[in-house]
Amino acid sequence: MKNLQFVFAALFFLLSLTVPLFIHSDYTLQILFRLFLFAALGLAWNLVGGYAGQLSLGHAAYFGVGAYGLALLAKLGISPWLAVLLGVVLAVISAAIIGSVSFRLRGPYFALCTIAFAEVLRLIAKNLPDVTGGDVGTQVPLLFTQSSIKSFYISGVLLTALAFVLTAWIERSKFGYYLMAIREDEDTAMSVGINTARVKLWSLLISAAITAIGGALYASLFLFIVPDQVMSIDMSVEIAIVPMLGGAGTLFGPVIGSMVLETASEIFKNVFEEAHLLIYGVLVVVVVLFLPEGIVGTVTNKLRFFKKAPAAPFGAPVPVTPEEEAERTAFRP
Amino acid sequence: MNWFYASLQAVLNGLLTGALYALIGMGMALIFGVMRIVNFTHGAFLMLGMYASYIFFQKTGINPYMGFVVSGAVLFVIGYAVYMGLLRRIPGQVDFMVILLTLGLALIITDGVQLIFGADYHQINLPLLAKNFRIGSQISLNAPWLVSFAIALVLAVALYFVVTHTMFGRAARAIAQNPYPSPLMGINVNQVQAISFGIGAAAAGIAGALLLPVFYLYPAVGSQFELKSFVMVVLGGMGSIQGAAIAGLVLGVVENLTSLYWGNEWALAVDFVIFILVLSLKPSGIFGSQRA
Amino acid sequence: MSLLEAKHVSKRFGGLKAINDISFAVNPAEITFIVGPNGAGKTTLFNLITGVFHPDAGAIYFHDQDITKLTPDQAAKLGIGRTFQIVKPLRNLTVLENVMLGAFLRTSSPSKAEAAATQVLKFLQMEKFLHLPARGMGLPMLKRLEIARALATHPKLILLDEVVAGLPTPEAIKLAMLLKRLPEWGISAIGGIEHVMQVVMRIADRVIVIDHGTLIAEGKPEDVVHRPEVIEAYLGPKYKEIAL
Repeated sequence: MKNLQFVFAALFFLLSLTVPLFIHSDYTLQILFRLFLFAALGLAWNLVGGYAGQLSLGHAAYFGVGAYGLALLAKLGISPWLAVLLGVVLAVISAAIIGSVSFRLRGPYFALCTIAFAEVLRLIAKNLPDVTGGDVGTQVPLLFTQSSIKSFYISGVLLTALAFVLTAWIERSKFGYYLMAIREDEDTAMSVGINTARVKLWSLLISAAITAIGGALYASLFLFIVPDQVMSIDMSVEIAIVPMLGGAGTLFGPVIGSMVLETASEIFKNVFEEAHLLIYGVLVVVVVLFLPEGIVGTVTNKLRFFKKAPAAPFGAPVPVTPEEEAERTAFRP
Repeated sequence: MNWFYASLQAVLNGLLTGALYALIGMGMALIFGVMRIVNFTHGAFLMLGMYASYIFFQKTGINPYMGFVVSGAVLFVIGYAVYMGLLRRIPGQVDFMVILLTLGLALIITDGVQLIFGADYHQINLPLLAKNFRIGSQISLNAPWLVSFAIALVLAVALYFVVTHTMFGRAARAIAQNPYPSPLMGINVNQVQAISFGIGAAAAGIAGALLLPVFYLYPAVGSQFELKSFVMVVLGGMGSIQGAAIAGLVLGVVENLTSLYWGNEWALAVDFVIFILVLSLKPSGIFGSQRA
Repeated sequence: MSLLEAKHVSKRFGGLKAINDISFAVNPAEITFIVGPNGAGKTTLFNLITGVFHPDAGAIYFHDQDITKLTPDQAAKLGIGRTFQIVKPLRNLTVLENVMLGAFLRTSSPSKAEAAATQVLKFLQMEKFLHLPARGMGLPMLKRLEIARALATHPKLILLDEVVAGLPTPEAIKLAMLLKRLPEWGISAIGGIEHVMQVVMRIADRVIVIDHGTLIAEGKPEDVVHRPEVIEAYLGPKYKEIAL
């Protein structure tokens, strides 16, 4: 079952890479780039919000640092790709600071704290026009000179694949189990020796790094950024909604979520024009009321519960055979 | 002495603005106290209050200083309906899901209004706007702010009395302390939470109406006030309505002093820095010990 | 040498003295039960030992190492496992995964953790539930799950907070019989218990009785239960005469 999933995922990413061979419309490729970009951002958010269960509503901070890192460092004469890398480093440093303060808080306090940090960064970007260009915005260098949109699309697919493989690996590792333990119950997690503060921080650092790469790609495609676009609370919300729609804490959730959300928003864009976030709102309300575990989460739960009926009534001690008893007696923890 | 008068003027202006903040924050605190949820629809409610009062003014010519009653009533009904129709139905009322639902709802309301009324800025013109109230030669207070201050003050005190001295208030405080045994004492938790949500929404709506004469109106206008209401609720101690009220006044003063000495554009940033400091140093808040 | 030693430990919450100058020691490979009425301070004492709270006064030693200021995860790493009185399963994970989380303390390999967890679950007669989600379990299995998770961390000392409370008596005794074997493997246990005395009498090597945060009796279970101060703590002063 698990292996089938990975074959499917590998096929999906390989096929996605061949798309530019037969789709030549820049417009379509740009939409597809956006789809993969948000899948990658959703996968990144999912590590913190889905697996570790920490509802971050401030991921625009890392997205923005990645975007502005590229723009501003390139202005200093640093080559664009090195600037992307340094932007990632800056985002990881911000994540370390933001995480060390906000992870001490639980529940709604944590969510509010992440918003506050993202807002502070946005306001700094707005209010220092000499450095950042302020509200007017700033130019971003192009990362790819040859057949630009195709290169952006390919890099979007690769970033998603990277985030996907990383998540798949984390999901099966001790680190992934630790994240899930923290989501389920932090006290229990500590009682089995998990340094919850450190584990949460690591998940945020990884998440911030991927998000910052996404921010840099996005900024470079549009060539121009303003704080209210890349660091707004709407951006944070969008990054969080994608995986929650698809299924928070599931491997495929963010990818499915991005497909549904971006397709829907593309279809309704012409109907609602400026008000395109309306469809996001409707989808969110539908998910919360009818698919509380997201699309993937709800589907797999249905499957799992039909497949395995309990072997004995819940709670009753299991009858034991003499052989089993012998095995038990031999046990030494 | 000029700096003294300038500062005094800023403090007074801050108190006038702060009273409106207090109203917004008390609404948020009431909702948080009784339901333990952060209401991300608060800004949208405020914006709806502004629109309600704007339309009412356009149709009847009655100014928002009386029209706020309409905004309050409309928003109470909307808040009550949102609770009964949506929030109540969330399985297990997991706070993750409640936050998500209120976020989604805010997107629907804000973009829905934009779809219907467009993204244009609106403004109303009242003769009152030009009037100033002078104290001595140095201090002058703008009349519309004075009127809104008076109304907000009366409503804030009224809300405080409702929460501390009525049956509803007692039930609300019981639920805020511990929702589980409340049904055993004959409290209809759903009803009390719905009414609290309605009152919270109404407070935001009324504040919106009172802001209408002195502010531009556009669909996204509520978000900045919503962010401020988060700050107030945390500063006041999550769920304490009197704490949120004091925090509102403090925020108004701090913002005006920041604007005076550092520049208007930093006012909101200072709010958030205070917010982060309070959250990290004293998450229980600094102005409220008793919970609503 | 004692395994765990508490010296003059006190803890207050606001005006309430939850733990008042308590000293005791636990020997290696010994089962000690802390007995006391509801609210006597058993859970607080456990929280002090595992680092959830820190004492206002006094010190706690484990293997002669000062652990007074440790955090819960550090305590677990040193070899102090615990269960929670109000069961705290990781609801959306399977029974096996719950216990694997304990095993991960001593290994980084998921397959080794799985093997270790399976072994512990077999010991606790839960092998039929391995792949079921914890959220569907009844209280008896959740109590065992708590123990399994703590045992999987390979503790030297395990704190069992009200581990049989709420269980039907036959199930409680069955579980107690399993726990009685812990010292064979060099695991000491401190049980906290309110009233299931059959269990205490059968498996405890030593009993400590606390009331209102103060230690009122200590000794072998059969001696301690007849002491007047213990009966008074449980039944009120009127019944003190019965003991005499």
